[in-house]
Amino acid sequence: MGRTYQTSLRVGPATFRIASEWQQPIAQLSSLYENYPKPKGEFADFTVRLESKSFWRKYFRPTVHISGDFWLPDASPLPLSQGLLAAEMGMNLQMALGWRRHLLLHASTVEKDGKALLMTGLSGSGKSTLSAMLGEKGWRFMGDEFALICPQTGMAHSFPRLISLKNEAIAAMERNTPGDRFGPLLEDTPKGSIRHLVPLWESLEASNQPAKPALLIFPRFGYDKAVREIGKSEIFVRLTQASTNYVALGEAGFKALTSFVDNVSARAIDYQSGDEAEELIDQLWAELV
Amino acid sequence: MKNAMTLVHALCEPGSIRSFDGAGWTNLISMARAESLIGTLAHQLKDLDVPADVRSVLDDEIDAHDMVKQKALWEAECARRALSSYDGKVVLMKGTAYVAAGLTAGMGRNIGDLDIMVARNDLKSVEDMLLEAGWEWVKPDPYDDQYYREHMHELPPLIHRERDSMIDVHHTTLPLTANPTPDAQGMLDDAVMLENGLYIMSPEDMLCHCAAHLMADGDLAGGLRNLWDMHCLLTEFSRQDPGIWEKLDSRAEHHQLGQAVRRSVWHAYDLYATDIPPLWQSGESVTSAFRRRLLARDGYGRETRKLTRQAFYIRSHWLRMPPLMLTKHLWTKWRKGGAGPS
Amino acid sequence: MSQQFKAANSEDIILHLLDMMTLVFHRPSGLTHIVADPVPAILEVMQDGASTPSQITAALEKNFDLEEGADVENVVLARLDEMYALGLIERVSE
Repeated sequence: MGRTYQTSLRVGPATFRIASEWQQPIAQLSSLYENYPKPKGEFADFTVRLESKSFWRKYFRPTVHISGDFWLPDASPLPLSQGLLAAEMGMNLQMALGWRRHLLLHASTVEKDGKALLMTGLSGSGKSTLSAMLGEKGWRFMGDEFALICPQTGMAHSFPRLISLKNEAIAAMERNTPGDRFGPLLEDTPKGSIRHLVPLWESLEASNQPAKPALLIFPRFGYDKAVREIGKSEIFVRLTQASTNYVALGEAGFKALTSFVDNVSARAIDYQSGDEAEELIDQLWAELV
Repeated sequence: MKNAMTLVHALCEPGSIRSFDGAGWTNLISMARAESLIGTLAHQLKDLDVPADVRSVLDDEIDAHDMVKQKALWEAECARRALSSYDGKVVLMKGTAYVAAGLTAGMGRNIGDLDIMVARNDLKSVEDMLLEAGWEWVKPDPYDDQYYREHMHELPPLIHRERDSMIDVHHTTLPLTANPTPDAQGMLDDAVMLENGLYIMSPEDMLCHCAAHLMADGDLAGGLRNLWDMHCLLTEFSRQDPGIWEKLDSRAEHHQLGQAVRRSVWHAYDLYATDIPPLWQSGESVTSAFRRRLLARDGYGRETRKLTRQAFYIRSHWLRMPPLMLTKHLWTKWRKGGAGPS
Repeated sequence: MSQQFKAANSEDIILHLLDMMTLVFHRPSGLTHIVADPVPAILEVMQDGASTPSQITAALEKNFDLEEGADVENVVLARLDEMYALGLIERVSE
């Protein structure tokens, strides 16, 4: 079967073993995750595998198939140059399909004063970019992909994987952020250009500290600045759609989500620029009791 | 870790793995997930003292498989309701039958679609009742449809339009093109009624069916799991009825499954050390190839011998959100003074 | 004799009110349904013993202060069909 390269990573509460037929993705991961808290032992919750489909495709125009403990039959392979992205997607997939210790919401999260701000929306809503931006402006970055809600306590837990900047957001973040926190620029991925950004060390160091969800925002980019209220039924439905494991958790998921919807303020915001979004967020945050 | 023997040991003798380090545990868990035996493993290790991070994963898997069981039983209940006016027997098959009957083979078992068997002459009326109750054809292609009806042992699969769950309606246990032709009517005649009015096969028939599957699924994918079913059924049934072996022998011959049953029993004995009578213990010639294929899995959960893969995977529609079935008609002015339960 | 229905056991159901809608978590299926009035009210009177559409209609008219001129029986029939499809109620054979 040839040599297997591997590394173990910890992101928030979850540990991963990444096994790859190629060295490059493992080397990139090891360097980008260098400052992350290390797994406590050798055990990993999930194994992610980066594989070639056939022997010759390992070397000739190599393409990476994403596999692992949990996998999808119809996941498209990526070129080897995007192996880092494949690994990240593989880790997300394990969480989305296999993690049961928290209710997973597809949302970005930042924290201030022990309280969490969650942002959720379709891709293009800007939730990831906004969390990256706020993470450089005094908020603690907790994650740009999944918010982890504890079914017992209702607290939001951090899942601060590499921030996945896309397209225009890349240049915007590059202007004010030191270059050594960036991964390689990945072009022509299924989601356009992607460049990974390592969260600030303070975020990584505090990644085991949960925060109480206080505000939920549904951002929408490209519309005139506005704030709207949303009814609780609509919030509930949108969050079930934003959750990868609501159904899988059964009654625990139901209780966690109803309690979240009952207790967390929520608003939809429209914005045209990062500054506008920040202004609206600051305003809504200040209005919280 | 070159093959899945570690997993086999862990299932049979949980005590043997206490000395695992972190990497050993990661390998074992990956392998068990790949073989669709993780829920079973988690149950086997329930009382074992294992490291805390391993325990968390095992507990999660027990939980996850409790949900699998609940969903399987609910699907059976939905079929029962849909077929409540059908007066023939509705026989649950495979995993759903095991959990419905509370058999150890069902503990932590992964269960996908609902499989039921009905009399061949009743297929049409059963099909109509299921269509009436919200199931729809997955493959509306007339050619496929005809192929299924003529050559397979089941109707083309039906999927429920709301719950997104699949049902396979069988009228026998093997494809009609397969060589052995089991006596399907005999299986229906001997089926045993459960409390809720649904049926399961008699112990001998259940063993014959399990063995037929193990041997007929050409590529043997998922073989370790199917063989574990065989091991559990044999162990449990022979404990309840020491006379099961003679009955099994003659029943297997009756279904033209003598060879499949003998081989399956022998492999369960060979790998899982199933307690079987001396007469069944004589070995078989193709053992080594068969055994190698069953065990072809490395510590990363990869197949070490690339065969057709039919292993369990998460269907992508599990990612879709089927749970909120909105009753669409808002009748907001229902009560004066607004809505809500009183 | 008209069709009789039986509601899911009350311990198999969790109702949770959100503004205008009610969530129904159904334990045996693990499914969540989001329903509008009068579904929760129908479930309630069925738990109290009403089983045919006309009994359910009568119980609703007695227990709740309804809009004048509402076609209660037809609404009840339509909701019962939906609740049956969701598995929240069963048809009972004579």
